[in-house]
Amino acid sequence: MSSFDSIEPPLASIEEGSLHPINQTIDFLMEILTNLGFDQTDGPEIESEMFNFDMLNIKETHPARQMHDTFYVQKKNNVLRTHTSPVQIRTMLNSQPPIALVSAGKVYRKDDDATHLPMFHQIEGILVNDKVTFAQLKDLIYKILLEIFDDDIKVRFRPSYFPFTEPSAEVDILSKNGNWLEILGCGIVNPIVLENCKIDSNLNSGLAFGLGVERIAMLKYGVNDIRDFYKSNLDFLEQFK
Amino acid sequence: MKIFYQDLLRFFPTKPSIEDLSEKLFQLGHEHEIENDVIDIEITPNRGDCLSLLGLARDLNVFYEVDFKLDSYNSPIPESSIQFKNLSPKIMPKVTFLEIEVTNQTNKYKDYLESYFKNLNINKNNFFTDISNYVSYELGQPTHCFDLNKLKGEIIFTQKKCSEEFKTLLGSKISLSGSNCIFENNSKIISLAGVMGGAETACSARTNKVLVECAYFTPESILGKTTKYNIQSESAYKFERGVDITSHDKVLRRFIKIVDEHSKIKSLRIQTFNEQPHKDNSIEIDHEKVNKILGTSISKEFYIDTLKKLGFKVDSSILVPSYRSDISNQNDLSEEIARVIGYNNISRNPISIVKDIKAGKSLPKNLLRSYLKKNGFTEVINFPFTALSSKDSIMIDNPLDKNKKFLRTGLKESLLENLLFNERRQKDSIKLYEISDIYVDGFEKNKNRKIGIIVSGIMGHNHNDFSKKIDEDYFQKILNKFLNKDDCKIEYINRGDLDTKIKSDIFYAETEVNNIQAENLSIDDFQIASKDFIQYACISEFPSSTRDFSFSIDNLSNYNDVISHLENLSHPYLKTSFIFDFYKNEKLCLVKLGVRMIFQSNIKTLSDDEIKESSLDLLEPILNLDGVSIPGL
Repeated sequence: MSSFDSIEPPLASIEEGSLHPINQTIDFLMEILTNLGFDQTDGPEIESEMFNFDMLNIKETHPARQMHDTFYVQKKNNVLRTHTSPVQIRTMLNSQPPIALVSAGKVYRKDDDATHLPMFHQIEGILVNDKVTFAQLKDLIYKILLEIFDDDIKVRFRPSYFPFTEPSAEVDILSKNGNWLEILGCGIVNPIVLENCKIDSNLNSGLAFGLGVERIAMLKYGVNDIRDFYKSNLDFLEQFK
Repeated sequence: MKIFYQDLLRFFPTKPSIEDLSEKLFQLGHEHEIENDVIDIEITPNRGDCLSLLGLARDLNVFYEVDFKLDSYNSPIPESSIQFKNLSPKIMPKVTFLEIEVTNQTNKYKDYLESYFKNLNINKNNFFTDISNYVSYELGQPTHCFDLNKLKGEIIFTQKKCSEEFKTLLGSKISLSGSNCIFENNSKIISLAGVMGGAETACSARTNKVLVECAYFTPESILGKTTKYNIQSESAYKFERGVDITSHDKVLRRFIKIVDEHSKIKSLRIQTFNEQPHKDNSIEIDHEKVNKILGTSISKEFYIDTLKKLGFKVDSSILVPSYRSDISNQNDLSEEIARVIGYNNISRNPISIVKDIKAGKSLPKNLLRSYLKKNGFTEVINFPFTALSSKDSIMIDNPLDKNKKFLRTGLKESLLENLLFNERRQKDSIKLYEISDIYVDGFEKNKNRKIGIIVSGIMGHNHNDFSKKIDEDYFQKILNKFLNKDDCKIEYINRGDLDTKIKSDIFYAETEVNNIQAENLSIDDFQIASKDFIQYACISEFPSSTRDFSFSIDNLSNYNDVISHLENLSHPYLKTSFIFDFYKNEKLCLVKLGVRMIFQSNIKTLSDDEIKESSLDLLEPILNLDGVSIPGL
């Protein structure tokens, strides 16, 4: 029989909290990108129309600039940034090539339904030097996707349209159920954008890519409803310890 | 845009299969789905020129032999004497009016016209409107038909402020406001230009004489009008994306031909008002530049041949066709070449980026996050929208709704809402934090990145912490690890103003992230990003039920077995369990353990009987141990 004195109380371990799954996904992606050689930077979420649209070759006629797509603030003097691309502009205006930067953060669109949120997260990268090509962009995207997903992932590129890149591409991966899933947008930086940032487009070219963090997080964690990320429900968040 | 495969096939003498066409459309960037030979294509906003059968055929000409010939009215057409004034030529630089009178209408259409309505499930309207819709489908240029007998005198086009009600040809009434592009006749608005015609001058089944308006409107003059007035308009969709300013003659001659194939034309007259003759853009021939952009090695011959097949004229320079307003430089041409090669056929070229990582930039924030995680804090992310405002608040000009009219100036309101939400979900120990930028008028970059932390309830779910409430001392100790006392004051939140019956104290602290003293945090606490992604299990929306059990163990040799059982409890309905009390009774030489079990199902609310049965399943192996009992069970 054990002696009474030798009885030890059960272990009183402190329960760990958890990091938000979206921030964990950002941490994961940023580590991949910084390991590839990109430096990190960030920028404000309230932006001028000039940085959010004009400098990125998004003309006044572009549907994204309408009141039903973009949140305008301060008597229409500024917007809640609709993408992280203005960070590229701020960076290029303040530095000369070679440039290799990534930025993660919140972005806003005037959208609120089962599959769209008014706020979500993007990670965007830009590389500008004297010899960037579309073939190199493809190599970079493959490297990123192979790090994020399995080694045997199937990837396809298809033409798309972004005013700030030309050529532009969207990249899909083949899901386990045989459907292609859109995973990121990318392209060669439009020379108009380089010139807007006082970078000589005859001597330099750039590549850019952008990932939707929620999309990656949903795929990696198996979350089906994007809205679950923002209910602050501990039953949900505590699963991601 | 929906098209019927057989309709598109009319342009292709070699009659490619739908699978082959689908593959080529995809390679060119025209994403689509196919059902019953109907191809539903998502054309990117820069390719308004592809919003028609002709447009797609032009793009596919790079892969197939295409016969662009469409039956057309080729005889001379006398000039109309229509009275027209263009008061806004910059918005509508070109318009052509065609007057047609027929002996009678028909609703018996030729096969190709009948097929359009039948296979695309489109409702017929009247003879002229039906032809107008078909021509737009075939050639991409919207036209509008006015009943000529309902027009009197001069037609005016203008952009001006309007405040009257306008009844559309579909019968809906819209209240015009702000600046609008309109056609007027007899001092009345007869058409919301490029969007929809009016009811008063609309064609009907009795209309035998029409005025067909074929115009080019600048995309920006049309943009936003359908949303503003909640109208569905295919014309506006096309004008917003740009139509071919040089196509009027071709379009109207095709229109006449179709009318002619269905009815006897009594008279025809036409007049064009062109304020701004079109000039094709030209780009230098430079295949090497394209190779430099793409990383390819295409020949000059391939470059020129490809562009010619896409409709470009190549002489001493490259002339961009009038329908390709999206092309202005060598990068645009490189996309054309890449589409034809196939993005997936361009080989990867290894890239390496010179490393210049400014290490540790985000280390303080991440060290803090690791420290808080280890101490039981959960990170949340909230939307910045709020109904509350202060003098510094930034107002959203176009909020989602009136409760989201301002940007939050602090994190407290969101975190308090999170806390109360989780309390309602029966959480009794809540420790949350959020790191976020907040904005006030006169913001400066990075000056307002804040951390907010909120706590309430019991200290933790173990026998040491269960009976202790989170208090100010505990919270201050947590904060002292990474903040100077002066940088962050703890706020006690009074529950009196809150909609809750729970009594636990709530403490809150908020400070700028710049105040974090990372040097006090242990680098050992820092966790790098994990590559292991936990697979999420759906959370239950059904209520949980709690059951507490008090074990008495007088055969102490079984104590460790009891603990082992309790630490490994498992049942489909058991959400969690923990030992909340431990007591050694020296007098009686026995040990008491308090155990809490929380039950919940993902598919239903559990009944008392189900919980009892589950409890007994879990308790049975423990109670079978000698000297272990639950008094009163």
